[in-house]
Amino acid sequence: MSGPTLQDIRCCFEGIIPATVATCSAEGVPNVAYISQVFYADERHVALSFQFFNKTRQNILANPYATALVLDPGTAQFYRLSIRYHRTETSGPLFEGMRAQLAGIASHSGMQDVFKLLGSDVYEVERIEALEGEPLPAPPARAGLLGAVRRASERLARCTSLDETLNAVLASLNDHLGIRHAMVLMLDPAAQRLYTVASCGYPTSGVGSEIGVGQGVIGVAARERTPVRIGHMTNAALYTQAMRSSFGANVPDFEAVAEIPYPGLAQPHSQLAAPIQNGGRMLGVLFVESTQELQFSYEDEDALVAIAGHLGAAIELMQAATEASESAAAVPAAPHAATPAALAPLVVKHFAANDSIFLGDTYLIKGVAGAILWKLLRDHSQLGRTEFSNRELRLDPALKLPDICDNLEARLLLLQRRLAEQGGALRMEKTGRGRFRLVLHRPVELVAL
Amino acid sequence: MAAPLPPDLVAIMARGVSVIVASRDAALRPSLMRAVGSRVEADGGDITVYLSRPQSRQLVQDLAATGHIAVVFSVPSTHRSVQLKASRVEMRNADADDAAVLARYLASMEHEVQQVGFAPPLTRAMLAHRLDDVVAVRFTPEQAFDQTPGPRAGTAIGSTR
Repeated sequence: MSGPTLQDIRCCFEGIIPATVATCSAEGVPNVAYISQVFYADERHVALSFQFFNKTRQNILANPYATALVLDPGTAQFYRLSIRYHRTETSGPLFEGMRAQLAGIASHSGMQDVFKLLGSDVYEVERIEALEGEPLPAPPARAGLLGAVRRASERLARCTSLDETLNAVLASLNDHLGIRHAMVLMLDPAAQRLYTVASCGYPTSGVGSEIGVGQGVIGVAARERTPVRIGHMTNAALYTQAMRSSFGANVPDFEAVAEIPYPGLAQPHSQLAAPIQNGGRMLGVLFVESTQELQFSYEDEDALVAIAGHLGAAIELMQAATEASESAAAVPAAPHAATPAALAPLVVKHFAANDSIFLGDTYLIKGVAGAILWKLLRDHSQLGRTEFSNRELRLDPALKLPDICDNLEARLLLLQRRLAEQGGALRMEKTGRGRFRLVLHRPVELVAL
Repeated sequence: MAAPLPPDLVAIMARGVSVIVASRDAALRPSLMRAVGSRVEADGGDITVYLSRPQSRQLVQDLAATGHIAVVFSVPSTHRSVQLKASRVEMRNADADDAAVLARYLASMEHEVQQVGFAPPLTRAMLAHRLDDVVAVRFTPEQAFDQTPGPRAGTAIGSTR
């Protein structure tokens, strides 16, 4: 096929200037309508937003041929697409990707109460025609996105630990893609929640903060395993990432203090979330945002998805390498702990209901990471141990780690980072692959509740 | 002949807002293009839309062959829209007398599109044409439909049914 491909004209599909579509009834009466959203589905298909039971809808069900007119918002170059209706999707990645983007378009155009996606009408693109005209000169192409992905890939390939890997991803986004606000969240498959393990560009790191699968741009990307991109600030409640309490009703007393606040922007004007996957499994989400409108293009989405793919492989590689060295190394003998006794003891409280841990009155962590820390502290106090291995944690029935895909490395990193943020009275230090040391700078008093 | 259009709607159409034109061929395949101008007379009973021929060859051919036309007028900043339909059109080449109509339309559109955040150069590029290549398509609306997005979209205007 000569002429532009669908890939070439993706900039027309941002919903900045609405497209129009012509259809024709079985009786031969043409119809023309504005359409909020023409969505790039794949190399040969577009999806049009189905928002109302209107004439366009009636016509395509009777006569599937339609013609769409789109405009490059940068150059005013027109393209006309001869398209043929195939099917309507009302759930799944395509639908959810469109629904999120439409929420942004709707808020931007003051139509948030009117624009609601009922379905994604999928059309095969039979022909694309670049129309004659006097378009403006195209702005210079954004050089170097592929180079940026390459440099991110090189940095990731040099990493030898999960800690380094996460730092390398955030630094690459900042240095090579100009992205100032980003975070990495890992999936807890049993709880169906995502927890933040790394972030950059926020006043607080938010490490340990949680989001439910399906909640907000990040949660939808995780649930549908698809990138989600919104180019405008949206007021749609579904896509605001405001945090809700993750504590059960059975432990109401410390609900207010036991939240790590979500670190993200209060009013993001652009958001992009890419799923982190490997071997067909969902591992987490790489999320970026901006205070500027339309900050992330389809090309940025391409770059982020490629980097998230590499990140997924790296995370699993770190986990596998750790496990291999765990099985090779024997658990070292426990040297007796030398704890400074001069300072007043730090009271460490453990609430068994949800494995939450408080240092003094300050909430630290809960869930699996909380249970791990409690085991380490008890072993320290009862047996004087300071040296531990991933392997023994994995084998400890009390921790109830799932057999496979337990994300133990990510949970230990989360714990290590939370402890470091709390002033360092307690610290965890890596001592080798699959091994670490618990360091106490103050004596502790353990209180089980 | 359609019921009379509400005067406020005629005023909006007449001041020069977005205009998209569609038709179809014998095989019922639709064709469409954005008009480079419009003229609304006789309280909305006499409409002329202007098409740039190099961008609209199939559409112009379909209009000439079938006479079927659908036109949507829309205000970019408010989405207020109306669709007009007819089964007969008259077509002629634009001439020097139309130049003033097209210039007035462009000036209005520069303003309308600026309301949604685009500077005039984009509008000028979007509506660029050579007068020699412009076709004037004149029709009397037979049907009119409210097409503003929302629950009333698609309702026939002036319909008592």
